[in-house]
Amino acid sequence: MPDLPLAGIRVLDLGQVYAGPTCARVLCDLGAEVIRVEGINRMDTIRNLFLADNDGSDDYWNRGSYYVFRNAGKQSVVLEFTDSRGVELFSRLVPQVDIVVENFTPRVMKNLGLDYESLRRLRPDVIVISMSGYGQNGPWRDYAAYGTGLEAVSGTCSLTGYRDGPPTRTGISFTDPMSGLMGAGAVLLALQYRRRTGKGQFIDLSQHEAAIPLIGHALMDFVMNNREQPRRGNRDLVAAPQGCYRCRGEDNWLVISVADDNQWRRLAEAVGHPEWAEDERFADILSRHGHHDQLDALIEAWTREQDHIEAMHLLQRAGITAAAVLNGKEVLLDPHLRERGAFDLVDVPGAGKRPVPRVLGARFSRFEAKARGPAPKLGEHNREVLQGLLDLSNEEVTRLEEEGVIGMEPVLMYPLPIARQMVVQPLFSFKQMGALLDIEPDYKEQLGLEG
Amino acid sequence: MPDSALAGIRVIELAQGVAGPYCGKLLADAGAEVIKVEPPEAGDRSRNLGPFPDDIPDREKSGLYLHLNTNKKSVSLDAGTASGRTILKRLLAKADILIESFPPGHMPGLGLGYDDLKEELSDLIYCSITPFGQTGPYRDYKANSIALMALCGLMYVTGDPDREPLATGGYPADYFAALNAWVAILAALAFREREGGGQYIDVSMLESLGCADEYNTGMYSFMGAIRRRYYSRHLFSYPMDIYACRDGQVVVVPGANGFPTSMALLVEQPELETHMLFTNFWMRAIQSQEFDALIQPWLDAHDAEDILTRAQELRLPFGPVLGPKTLLANAHLAERGFFQEIAHPEAGKLTHCGLPFLMSETPLETGPSPTLGQHNEEVLSEAMGYGREELIILRERGII
Repeated sequence: MPDLPLAGIRVLDLGQVYAGPTCARVLCDLGAEVIRVEGINRMDTIRNLFLADNDGSDDYWNRGSYYVFRNAGKQSVVLEFTDSRGVELFSRLVPQVDIVVENFTPRVMKNLGLDYESLRRLRPDVIVISMSGYGQNGPWRDYAAYGTGLEAVSGTCSLTGYRDGPPTRTGISFTDPMSGLMGAGAVLLALQYRRRTGKGQFIDLSQHEAAIPLIGHALMDFVMNNREQPRRGNRDLVAAPQGCYRCRGEDNWLVISVADDNQWRRLAEAVGHPEWAEDERFADILSRHGHHDQLDALIEAWTREQDHIEAMHLLQRAGITAAAVLNGKEVLLDPHLRERGAFDLVDVPGAGKRPVPRVLGARFSRFEAKARGPAPKLGEHNREVLQGLLDLSNEEVTRLEEEGVIGMEPVLMYPLPIARQMVVQPLFSFKQMGALLDIEPDYKEQLGLEG
Repeated sequence: MPDSALAGIRVIELAQGVAGPYCGKLLADAGAEVIKVEPPEAGDRSRNLGPFPDDIPDREKSGLYLHLNTNKKSVSLDAGTASGRTILKRLLAKADILIESFPPGHMPGLGLGYDDLKEELSDLIYCSITPFGQTGPYRDYKANSIALMALCGLMYVTGDPDREPLATGGYPADYFAALNAWVAILAALAFREREGGGQYIDVSMLESLGCADEYNTGMYSFMGAIRRRYYSRHLFSYPMDIYACRDGQVVVVPGANGFPTSMALLVEQPELETHMLFTNFWMRAIQSQEFDALIQPWLDAHDAEDILTRAQELRLPFGPVLGPKTLLANAHLAERGFFQEIAHPEAGKLTHCGLPFLMSETPLETGPSPTLGQHNEEVLSEAMGYGREELIILRERGII
């Protein structure tokens, strides 16, 4: 297999939490050498989340699934940015890299003396991408933002919600993966231009703006008709019936969407109720919209007796759009995703191999873009990078370690024994309150993982 | 005049709907010449989807189409006829990239599959976008955005715990697929410059959405826990959700450093700083109703804008809940110049959604969407060398 498209490209990833690290991980999967830089006093908080086996002992900060998902295949360098020597080490790395990725609010890089103009003096053709919440200018430029909130600011929540309810968030930090992909594409555009002209550039990506095009049709409706679209729950403007129906078992559901009269007839036959197709309340698309509640009741009377996954296959074989609502476990075990290789097995220090979702939903005929290795332990590559790229001697690196300019142990907000307790999630309480369906101690066996 | 990143790159877009066209738009706005090949009678199916001005259907005035096809050229061509296919092949011979979104097997059926073309057109980057990809047991299954939200696991964790799972509004599966296809095409272009030659790209919309899996599979594969929807909340950092306030809603996100002090100051009860639900974050998540009772009265007494300003002064990453109207009137976006007015020959001047990022050397630039077949003559005669009489014959036969 030949090289990957970004072989030979080096990236400094200052990204925190989700969007920036995702951008850099896409570049990494495409072959770039990505050096992730963290502050000793500012360990990325995602290292605390969803630890392997919910175990807060030892170097737990290297075992979080949230961290591993975003950082597989990268290298890790830990510098102290509050010490001018730490900032200087970073500055000395810049001439050795092609790309700098960061997602702080604009004042952070400026205060460190690491804004684009400064970085460009160190490396004239550097490509810098800033992925702050609201971009580099405008009255909200210094507003702090999380992807969890930006979904609502970008307008998507205005279209999401039960028909009788308020705007609703998606159950993930929706704009983060979107901005991460957007940022990776923007960097690829800048690289394309640099190959042609030798020039670098600055990319100002506002995570807020990157997600707004998702509601382009609703914006157009307002521009054209001065009207805001209602929240439709799981229904559709055109297809009917469309809904999410309860199936057999605990919290199992099936989505069904019927596009036209033919599909309606086929659905009625497939579920053993050909008389539904003859019922004039449901005969055409308009009458089905008019009697949607009654339709839902009929359909759910059938789905309640069905296994959600088997019912999906039954209806799909009849040519109807049907999809089981899969939970995290079912996604991992789904035969289609397994055959497609949607997860890479990645070594997690002290926890064995674990499946990590791909960050690109594309398969290439001439190379494979996948997680290229484990997520690095905190500061794992301090020595390799500083000695290899900056020609520091062994003694110099040791002195920097002793003086706390670089390190492999985080300085945490709380004393270590307390921090260890705080990162352990109260899973049984979560289950009691209904936020978890189940906790399965034999999950590794079920997933076919060793140990 | 600023240069563009994709100057000299030509794209044939044989895709309809949302995913393929948004991918094509991202390439077009970066300077690629995107030739959209549409069926001669109906055009792209999004031309028949609204919104339309005053709800009067008009294939030149679909808001969805106008949003997704800026800056492209339109050639109307019936790829179902042999003559149409001949023209299409000649177009592809001069192109760098093809984007198509037919069901698996359709293009090979027309003799236009990647394997049919790869020897003659060895530099072509051929990108297929389908719901489930070209392989695997579901490859021929039908899907739309809600079905893919269901199968990727995101729907199960969205909505209230005692109600049915809830789909995210709009067409998220399509947009995630568009971004994946766009990144993949740019990666294949980079690869072509290194190694020479094109390649085939198989984009699965389901797996594209799967890239947005924050921790649903991770909770199981690392801890054995199966996450459910719980008001779409993150439990590891409670609160992080949309709350009601005096004049509407506001996103309450205290972030990593909001507790205990800043949140207590925000709600003007400094004594809460020592309250157990302010000092212990797991307790706060588990006893969320008790916690909400502590802050809701203050939220109910204040307007969203006031809450947002005060919160941001305390460095709390709160946000407003915006929709089309409030986004279009937003002062921050206005100063950033996000929305753009574009004049269209049939639809007139309309404010369009802006560009998703700014580039200092190669600014993205957008222009009007094409009318159906607007560039037949330009593309076929100027670029492809068809003569005037040949074009008349093709038009008479309904091929263009």
